[in-house]
Amino acid sequence: MPQVRIIAKNFMDMVAALPAMKLDKLYENAFICEAILRSLPPLAKKYVLQMLCIEVPVTAKSMEEWVLPDGVSKHRVAIDRLIQLRIFTETVDRKRETTYTLNPIFQTNLKKLLLYGVVLPREPMPSNVTVRLPSSEDLEAFALGQWECFLLQLINSSQIERPSNISSSMMKIFQRGLLSQRDKEAPRLTESGFQFLLMDTNAQLWYIIREYISNSEERGVDSADLISFLLELSFHVTGEAYNINTLTEVQKNTIKDLADLGLVKLQQGRKDSWFIPTRLATNLSVSLTDSSSRKQGFVVVETNFRLYAYSTSKLHCEILRLFSRVEYQLPNLIVGAITKESLYSAFENGITADQIISFLQQNAHPRVAERVPSVPENVTDQIRLWETDLNRVEMTPAYHYDGFPSRDLFEGASDFARGYNALLWEDPEDSKKMSLVVKAENHVHMREYLSRQRQ
Amino acid sequence: MSCRQVVKRASYKSKIKDPGTPGVLTMTENKFVFRPNDPSSAAKLDVEFKHITGHKNTKEGTDKPPWLNLSDKDRSYIFEFGSFHDLHVCRDFVGNALAKSGEAAKASSAAKPTSAAKTTSEKSGVTLPDEQLSTAEMQLRMKLLQEDSELQKLHMQFVISGVLTESEFWATRKKLLDGDSRTKSKQRVGFRSSMILDTKPMTDGRMNKVTFNLTPEIKYQIFALKPAVHQAFLTLVPSKMTEKDFWTKYFRAEYLHSTRNAVAAAAEAAEDEELAIFLKEDAILASEARRKIRRVDPTLDMEADQGDDYTHLPDHGIFRDGSKDVTELQNELYRRTLSQDLNRQGAVVLQGRTVDVDLEDPRTVAEALMQSRRESDESAEQERLDRITRMTEIEDLQEHHDHPVAQLCIKDPRDYFDTQQVNALKTLDDSRTGTEQKKCSLTTEEAYGSLREAISKIKSIGLKNSTVAPEIAITVLNGLTQNISSTKYQLGKNPQDSVLDSLPNKTKEELLHHWISIQELLRHFWSSYPITTTYLSTKVGRLKDAMSQIYRQLEEIKQSDFRHQVSLLVRPMHQALDAAFQHFDADLQKRAARSGGETPNGNS
Amino acid sequence: MASAPSKLYADDVSLLMVLLDTNPFFWSSSSLPFSVFLSHVLTFLNSILLLNQLNQVVVIATGYNSCSYIYDSSTSTNQGSDNGRMPARCVNLLQKLEEFVIEDEQLIKEGLREGIASSLLSGSLSMALCYIQRVFRSGPLHPQPRILCLQGSSDGPEQYVAIMNAIFSAQRSVVPIDSCYMGSSNSAFLQQASYITGGVYLKPQQPNGLFQYLSTVFATDLHSRAFLQLPKSLGVDFRASCFCHKKTIDMGYICSVCLSIFCKHHKKCSTCGSVFGQAQSDVNSTSNKKRKTPET
Repeated sequence: MPQVRIIAKNFMDMVAALPAMKLDKLYENAFICEAILRSLPPLAKKYVLQMLCIEVPVTAKSMEEWVLPDGVSKHRVAIDRLIQLRIFTETVDRKRETTYTLNPIFQTNLKKLLLYGVVLPREPMPSNVTVRLPSSEDLEAFALGQWECFLLQLINSSQIERPSNISSSMMKIFQRGLLSQRDKEAPRLTESGFQFLLMDTNAQLWYIIREYISNSEERGVDSADLISFLLELSFHVTGEAYNINTLTEVQKNTIKDLADLGLVKLQQGRKDSWFIPTRLATNLSVSLTDSSSRKQGFVVVETNFRLYAYSTSKLHCEILRLFSRVEYQLPNLIVGAITKESLYSAFENGITADQIISFLQQNAHPRVAERVPSVPENVTDQIRLWETDLNRVEMTPAYHYDGFPSRDLFEGASDFARGYNALLWEDPEDSKKMSLVVKAENHVHMREYLSRQRQ
Repeated sequence: MSCRQVVKRASYKSKIKDPGTPGVLTMTENKFVFRPNDPSSAAKLDVEFKHITGHKNTKEGTDKPPWLNLSDKDRSYIFEFGSFHDLHVCRDFVGNALAKSGEAAKASSAAKPTSAAKTTSEKSGVTLPDEQLSTAEMQLRMKLLQEDSELQKLHMQFVISGVLTESEFWATRKKLLDGDSRTKSKQRVGFRSSMILDTKPMTDGRMNKVTFNLTPEIKYQIFALKPAVHQAFLTLVPSKMTEKDFWTKYFRAEYLHSTRNAVAAAAEAAEDEELAIFLKEDAILASEARRKIRRVDPTLDMEADQGDDYTHLPDHGIFRDGSKDVTELQNELYRRTLSQDLNRQGAVVLQGRTVDVDLEDPRTVAEALMQSRRESDESAEQERLDRITRMTEIEDLQEHHDHPVAQLCIKDPRDYFDTQQVNALKTLDDSRTGTEQKKCSLTTEEAYGSLREAISKIKSIGLKNSTVAPEIAITVLNGLTQNISSTKYQLGKNPQDSVLDSLPNKTKEELLHHWISIQELLRHFWSSYPITTTYLSTKVGRLKDAMSQIYRQLEEIKQSDFRHQVSLLVRPMHQALDAAFQHFDADLQKRAARSGGETPNGNS
Repeated sequence: MASAPSKLYADDVSLLMVLLDTNPFFWSSSSLPFSVFLSHVLTFLNSILLLNQLNQVVVIATGYNSCSYIYDSSTSTNQGSDNGRMPARCVNLLQKLEEFVIEDEQLIKEGLREGIASSLLSGSLSMALCYIQRVFRSGPLHPQPRILCLQGSSDGPEQYVAIMNAIFSAQRSVVPIDSCYMGSSNSAFLQQASYITGGVYLKPQQPNGLFQYLSTVFATDLHSRAFLQLPKSLGVDFRASCFCHKKTIDMGYICSVCLSIFCKHHKKCSTCGSVFGQAQSDVNSTSNKKRKTPET
């Protein structure tokens, strides 16, 4: 049994969570094999590669021989992942020796990939049919525009120029967990919502796609089919046009949603219509194993709490607006100031000082990113101070007990609570009122104790 | 062996009271001979040591003259030597000689292994060119075996079991036998480190008399420590005053010092000029001290400041005889500080005993000391010059000093064998590879042509045949895994970690023992080639049998839990043995062919 | 797709510089046919590119007279398959390789050849290092480079200095040099190269299982190497070549100023011009380190 459970945070975990039958079916598609291989941790990739030509089981012991003491945990994670994804089959033989075999379907498909190369999922349409293909820059701009528009809509910004065609019910699903709406008030970004905005595009995309897939069953679409289609899509060549008629009905519906997200661009010809995958689509198979992904920064923070963001993106402006007062908005520059008021509103929304600081640091403009610290210390300190200002009172849910029949019982109960380190307050010794306050999480124990005492 | 023979002048006495016959005593390994100076004397002696049953000698420092008393069953020989030094030399020699002759007496029982070996060799019908062993040598062998348990084990294993004969066994250890382990030079008595200057007077409360105890040893020490006294002794003693007077004066001065009555000392010194010599600061020492200061490495920072001097502070300073050594400004001349004394004492002790003469006569001691001092002065001067040239000037401008090349030194022999083992493994690996070059000569065009052909071949058929067959793949993977695990054990994190250390002690010892045995056997084995005599061929046969036995034992060890590590260690041993077996078989066949079917021996 | 893909770099993104020995004299005498060797290598390259789409592979052919870049995965565009026969990138590579071989042949001067001549390893090593330097300077985010020498022909002692310089420069820029040696006896140069730079030296025992060796050992990215034990060469031949006659020597003379190595005593150092004193046969002969087991 796998000993390490990976927190379900990315797409591949969804794949791993698929039932065995579906997973095996998935591996019949060479693209999926490739995409899954790429999603594996580096060690797991190596293990797959070295097992590629081996058809007999390999003992776990012999594989562990290669592992240095430092790498034991990594090795464990890699092996567990491989087993989760049913790429490795684990068997324990009579001699209680654990052996692994590579999934034969997976193996054959990978071999084919290596020996014969990638067979494209479908042929691009001849160029004489598709006359006005967008240039790669245009396509890029389209994709990013679509995506930004979608995000703005997601966070219910007032800045939306043209609402996308994504149905509001679908939007609701995406917003789940990112926004919180108290009755009658405008929905607010939750903590995870803010984190979502701080993620790079690819990670955001995966988050949305995951929500999309997990929701697919409700729309009557098989999640395995959807996964395989998405992965397939990622192996199409960016900028080439593909006939939409090669798709199934379900896929055709899906592709419309994907166009709204900016993954593909749909074009209508004289008699055919076609879709053009954008970079967002081809990035779907990007390995998601790393956490070190970065993008170009754009924010400069000065010691006088002024903030300059070299960005044309409305989204960036929206994000900055969450914790700073935007003063000017020039075509490529946003000037703002970090004020106590702006920060208080951010803290009220559940955004923490650390999140803000890490956002400023991660998105520091390359010019200031080289400096240490990239955000002036007085600014970071002040942000933290303002946050702690709000945290003078600590809230602890608790229960209040009083009306004890005897002093003994009261003292026994308070000792019992102290034993759990749960006693928050008790009446002073000389007071006649016998009452105490105990943390809510220990209420069960208290109740048990008290009922036992009563008998 | 430093001295096979000792010749000393001595006088022979048959009884203690006998006045003695002067003559020359010659001692050799087996006997001692005394030739009187007067050839007509009847006191000639020629006695073999084996008759001597005991020896005694007088102790140095007692009032007895240096006598050596050798006794046999019914009489004793007493020799009086000129000095204790001679006595010691002779005594040590006699001790050795007696020990040897004693061993010889026991030789018959000790020689049993030899005879056993002989019988085995005789059984195989070959006469053994066995040397006749002297009992002394026999004894030495026994001693070596007792001292070295490893050697003893080997001896037990091979000689007693008849694989090797005694002489064969020792033939490879000539060096051990030649070793001068027996003839260690006797230890020389060093200079006593107790402060002679503290020679305490004994006062008995009743009389106003102070007694100093004086022994030759103390006299010598005084001479060594105080060159001025020494000088005074040489100039004064026989001519101006008797020795007794000299010492009385000396101790009077000492007494004055000890009472710390500088004024009294000054007064007495004014009256008696000889006494003044003792009371004054030792001029020779002072000049020597000045010389020494000049000799000090000029780069050494000797500057001391007020802060370094704690002696004037309360609770600091040196206490001597219960009172503090305080600096008195007056009578500087007669003041001697403890630190000066201590320094002098230290210097003399370090110098060691330079004179090796009889201490009885202070005169000779004084002269000998003078002599040695002169010599050492010269050498010290030379040394000082050397050092100054080395230290004072900038090194770059100096003539280069020839620094000797460091000796190559392999510290742990195991390191060496580890690398050898690694190389053996490597050659083994190499031999398994299938990458032997095919011998073929192609012209340039052909060579390039074949290359192009290969490329176009791939172009046409693709990579279809590029996957590795599963069987090969798994062997490769297993091979690599084995390599990994073996290197992991072999070259663990710490290069000092050897495979051997990872094994349990029992296995480790067993392996080491086998390794030693194999080395021993192989040494004999290979040294027996080429086989020229039947004796050698039987020997080789015996060796081979013994080796194959060890071979089997090694195989057994390999079956243990630590198969992996053990096989690593055993492999080179097996290789070495295999090579020997192979050579044996090949040689046997060759000889069989040559001698036309006449097999030399029934050994298989 | 000329521009570099989005700058998302996982820990295991690698730049693999493959130095491919195309010495015709070696391959015509090798027991492993060049076609088999090449097809295994191509499969290996495919697998590297399969592992991570940001992985980059550059192939440099080490010829007899010249060396040249023959493939760079960052500039070649088509990923697909050539009529399903083999990956399209291989077709490109083979095409360039063939051109290279023809050019290499034209450069040959007759009568120079004796025995199996060595390839121009120093040249291709330098080219690989240059490429890596360019990648280093391209920006803060770049794949982790390593060099893989697939060498068959024997060492060319005349290249000793150049190769050692390349090795030390690789060591300085922390680029491991892996070497897979296909020849019959071990290559001292490559052993040293791998030892000094912390790479892996391997001499496959089963040449026809080459792909397995490559995929098991040499496919390991630098990130994973921190967790894995890779084969270690047991003994490294540390012998140097003298600068004067390019002979491999056990003992020799070393210039105390510039550490040039000579097989016999000279009056003057040919490298730095220092004047040497009279040789004293017992003192001045300085021995080189000959063999040593690598400390772990």
